[in-house]
Amino acid sequence: MNKINTLQDLEEIKKRVRPLLAVREDTNFARFKEARQIDVLVCRGTGCTAAGADEVEDAFREAIKRRGLEKRVRVNVTKIGCRGFCEKGPNVTITPGDILYTRVRRADVDEIVEKHLVRGEIVERLVYVDPISNKPAPANKDIEFYKRQRRIVLFLNGLIDPWSIEEYMAFDGYRAFIKALTSMKPDDVVEEVLKSGLRGRGGAGFPTGRKWGMVRSAQGNEKFVVCNGDEGDPGAFMNRSVLEGNPHTLIEGMLIGAFAIGNVRQGYAYVRAEYPLAIETLNHAIKQAREYGLLGQNILGTGFSFDLDIFPGAGAFVCGEETALLISIEGKRGNPRQRPPFPANKGLFDKPTTLNNVETWSIVPQIVLKGADWYKGIGVGGNAGTKTFCLVGKITNSGIAEVPVGTPLGHVVFDIGGGPPKGKSFKSVQIGGPSGGVIPIEHINTPVDYESVTSLGAIMGSGGLIVMDEDSCMVDMAKFFLQFTKDESCGKCLPCRAGIPKMLEILNKITQGHGTMEDLDVLQELAEMVGSASLCGLGQTAPNPVLSTIRHFRAEYESHIIDKKCPAAVCAGLFRAPCQHTCPVGLDVPGYVSFIKDGRFDEAYRLIRQRMPFPSVCGRVCNHPCEGKCRRGQMDDPVAIRHLKRFAADWAAEKGFEYTPKVNGKRNESVAIVGAGPAGLSAAQDLAMDGYQVTVFEALPVAGGMLAVGIPEYRLPNEMLNAEVSAIEKLGVDIRLNTRIHDVDALFAQGYKAVFLALGAHLGERMRVPGEDVKGVYDAVEFLRNVNLGREVEMGKKVAVIGGGNTATDSARVALRMGASQVDMFYRREKKDMPAIEEEIVAVEEEGIHIHELTAPTRVLSQEGKVTGLELVRMELGEFDKSGRKTPRQIKGSEYSVACDTVIQAIGQRPDTGFTEKYGIKIGMGRTISADRRTLATDRPGVFAGGDAVTGPWTVIEAIAAGQRAASSIKRYLQGQELGPRVDREDQETFLIPRPEDVEDVKERPRVTISELHPGKRASSFKEVNMGYTAQEAMSEASRCLRCDAEAGGE
Amino acid sequence: MQKVRQSVDLELPVNKDSAEYAARILRDVNEIVDLNTGKSGRLIRVLQQSQQRVGYLPPEVLTAISQVMKVPISEVNGVVSFYNFFTIVPRGKHVLQVCLGTACYVRGGQRILDVLKKEYHLEPGDTTPDGILSLDTVRCLGACALAPVVTLNGQVHRRVKPTAVKELVSRCK
Repeated sequence: MNKINTLQDLEEIKKRVRPLLAVREDTNFARFKEARQIDVLVCRGTGCTAAGADEVEDAFREAIKRRGLEKRVRVNVTKIGCRGFCEKGPNVTITPGDILYTRVRRADVDEIVEKHLVRGEIVERLVYVDPISNKPAPANKDIEFYKRQRRIVLFLNGLIDPWSIEEYMAFDGYRAFIKALTSMKPDDVVEEVLKSGLRGRGGAGFPTGRKWGMVRSAQGNEKFVVCNGDEGDPGAFMNRSVLEGNPHTLIEGMLIGAFAIGNVRQGYAYVRAEYPLAIETLNHAIKQAREYGLLGQNILGTGFSFDLDIFPGAGAFVCGEETALLISIEGKRGNPRQRPPFPANKGLFDKPTTLNNVETWSIVPQIVLKGADWYKGIGVGGNAGTKTFCLVGKITNSGIAEVPVGTPLGHVVFDIGGGPPKGKSFKSVQIGGPSGGVIPIEHINTPVDYESVTSLGAIMGSGGLIVMDEDSCMVDMAKFFLQFTKDESCGKCLPCRAGIPKMLEILNKITQGHGTMEDLDVLQELAEMVGSASLCGLGQTAPNPVLSTIRHFRAEYESHIIDKKCPAAVCAGLFRAPCQHTCPVGLDVPGYVSFIKDGRFDEAYRLIRQRMPFPSVCGRVCNHPCEGKCRRGQMDDPVAIRHLKRFAADWAAEKGFEYTPKVNGKRNESVAIVGAGPAGLSAAQDLAMDGYQVTVFEALPVAGGMLAVGIPEYRLPNEMLNAEVSAIEKLGVDIRLNTRIHDVDALFAQGYKAVFLALGAHLGERMRVPGEDVKGVYDAVEFLRNVNLGREVEMGKKVAVIGGGNTATDSARVALRMGASQVDMFYRREKKDMPAIEEEIVAVEEEGIHIHELTAPTRVLSQEGKVTGLELVRMELGEFDKSGRKTPRQIKGSEYSVACDTVIQAIGQRPDTGFTEKYGIKIGMGRTISADRRTLATDRPGVFAGGDAVTGPWTVIEAIAAGQRAASSIKRYLQGQELGPRVDREDQETFLIPRPEDVEDVKERPRVTISELHPGKRASSFKEVNMGYTAQEAMSEASRCLRCDAEAGGE
Repeated sequence: MQKVRQSVDLELPVNKDSAEYAARILRDVNEIVDLNTGKSGRLIRVLQQSQQRVGYLPPEVLTAISQVMKVPISEVNGVVSFYNFFTIVPRGKHVLQVCLGTACYVRGGQRILDVLKKEYHLEPGDTTPDGILSLDTVRCLGACALAPVVTLNGQVHRRVKPTAVKELVSRCK
């Protein structure tokens, strides 16, 4: 029998077992070939097991046997606990060498055995590849996910077999307990825990040592210790990973607690029913501990007795609340009760009880063993130690991460978690589950400690971090959590029982599009009432998700209420199809896509054209926000909506098919529009259709604004643009070119009744570095304009482009076509942070343009007034900024220079609004015109503004939408109506959209690729690169549409 | 948790009114109660194990528990109705659970439910009229990295797309 009677017994087990495990800590792969022992560690946490780790484990055993490997070397296949890299499960680590294979399938096992175990070679295709650097990281220690972690609670997870008490002992397991029991006074143990600064890891953060002290001094000769393993917070499973991966540490922690508190003979571990594997593992561990004499009567002959029992929960979230949990252990309904008396005095069976969560108990042995100072040295002041977090939701590396308390949130989400997948932008993180709140991107630098998190309206909770990206709707999330707390409310007290359903009702109303601003106030008031008047923690914290989303995302609530828009395209009650809802002008995407599918191209074109005047332009250069929300994208690739639109437009152009919208009557009022860009011309069309007399003034010699002078010919041929502009002129719109407007009063004096300022943003920003005022330094906007207008531009051979947006990529690609032999782009952040659309970045590199990351110009070098080179400085990334990108800062002394003869600066642009202020039109940030976001009204009655002049440089489709909003406002203004959000035009032709066929068997199929001009042929001409779909290709691509519009109950 | 033998009461053509049936229930309940002697929270443990054995908690079982444990039936019912884990209606031959934990919800769990509703008119808590399939929701199985997940008879299926759930349903016969 292996009964432990003395510390010596424990030492002996360690001496015997530890050498057998040494190989697991050997991270040197070079030693693999000579190794006399190989360990194959198969993660058998719930995540990996659910992903098929059981089959993989069996396959390893079989393959090793079949191969007769054991004759040559000792091979162990061991089940290990969760290491937290759940996203990539099933995970298998092979040591020596610490080589990690991810997403291992049964079918992969033979190859691993043959290649790795037999021949000592790494199976490259199964190792983890860093998604950012694209470099393989074969060893666990090379993986970014682990590098920034500090694992002390999870230290043995993945290193030992959770089913073996001796492996735990090999790593000093139970040593702390025996040390306490045989050489410390209970008071000293309490003192040590107090001094360590350990705070309850269940969420509230109450100092553990103080809690123990209170129970120790409470009256009574029968007391209990209880472990809260009712990890009911959805999206949190770190406690489970301890229970499954290292159960003995919990037992040891509770033993120490029982000894320190005194008069404790029985403990309970309350583990939720949804964790069968955790219950099984812990059960086994308890049995082993009893066998080794560590649980039971008269432990180590000291007279100290303690036993532990598991209580499996029966599925009630409220039982995570301490009073409810204790009542539940008594076998009753888990209704919480009023406190005081606190469980420290009157807990389980009315006896003094210490209740801590799994993580808290589990760290106690190490504190006792290594001392309070060691623990206090980790973390930040007042917040000692580490915290385990579950990273889930829209995040690349889902899993469990342990970091020192106080680590900035951004490091957890981006450096460890890898940020949201598929390049989506991060929006917020829900921390603390249904009782917590959201932390938005603006606060991404917040240190994750109890106080900082609370100050933002969230709570630390047990450590669930649910990451949300641009596709998550905050109103919907609030609704989701409230639905959860409504379901889980025990119903005992009125505020919680009645208040939560009422709040939910209001949220439902808002997400269905029937909410009012008054509802929002009532919601907030109710939330505050429920929070302050509820009996227990569940009710008190249930309103947190609502309050915190209103606090940080009020604009999103207002979108739902005022604009009836769900920006994330989640709240299905507000729309037919997510693509259409996301399109700023609301194009009927499912409609025209299904016409194309059926070969009814004329109807497809008309359906697009009646809604906006630029199908051909948008079919080429739109940034297609619709595709980002396409449901098909969740399956394989989004439908190529933009390409399909272009196909319809090209088809119409080729067939000479013209579409002239109807003009409804004639009105006498005339309207002046300043700027013939997409915003101005779209407004002009809408107003002309309503019979107004429209004059568009344009400073440039051509119409189209940035479409004409910003976007290069190879992306948007002029001929296409001109055709669409002249269709607008046919409605009677008078476009006056070469006419710059400086005087708003004069326009009114000339009889115009309303003015729309759509000036665009045509002034380039300067780098503001010494030496930039020499020949050969261009401002990108001016450069592109001159090229587009066919003006003479002197172009050197070696061109440097500064910047990372679309203007920069356009400039670089144009420079190449103008005869430059080498073009380099310099960008101060990383490539992944470039604001240019992805297709452009791909094209830039295809054409042989090199992108230099993390570098910024400091000086332009010149000789005799001509550029000869550029001095640059290397940048490094520091804190996160409000956009969730890391702020670049200069690395001192890293200056270097490159030779070049032309520099194009494309670092930003702004509108030329110098003249507006004296006419009572306010100017805001970045010299943009201040206008109401919805109505586009400026401070001066009758003057409206929109497009880039208001927003700063933005997209074509947003400019078109702004033009249409302006037209709607101007019409209402002229007719003496109150301004408000845009309403759809009533004169739209109705189309009978084809019914979807039964989409029973949708097979995965990537999008149809579009033909492009060969990169080698591009530099020599301005010929359009993208060649468009053929009819067949278009019909095939269109048939990929899942027809979400029909699911919404439409026709 | 004490392992108890799994029986297949539901599939036996039993006459629920027969004295024999009542006697058997009483015997089973007695056995389970005995297994839990001296343990805390006996009632919940007994209910869990009875449900594991019978498949659900019919009135006969609840009455027997009340008698054997000498606990008022109101208290037994109170506990049963409080905890999600307990069911007083028989479940289908197959049980499909859709996880609606936050991570699964964020990654599309709701859309799986939408498909089941649209295609099979199944809502959470429903069982198909032929008794083949029951649909439940569950709040977090802790397999969030595999989200969205569904379980079919306890077996976890990971990263389930709406089309894949139809595949799963078609397997239930």
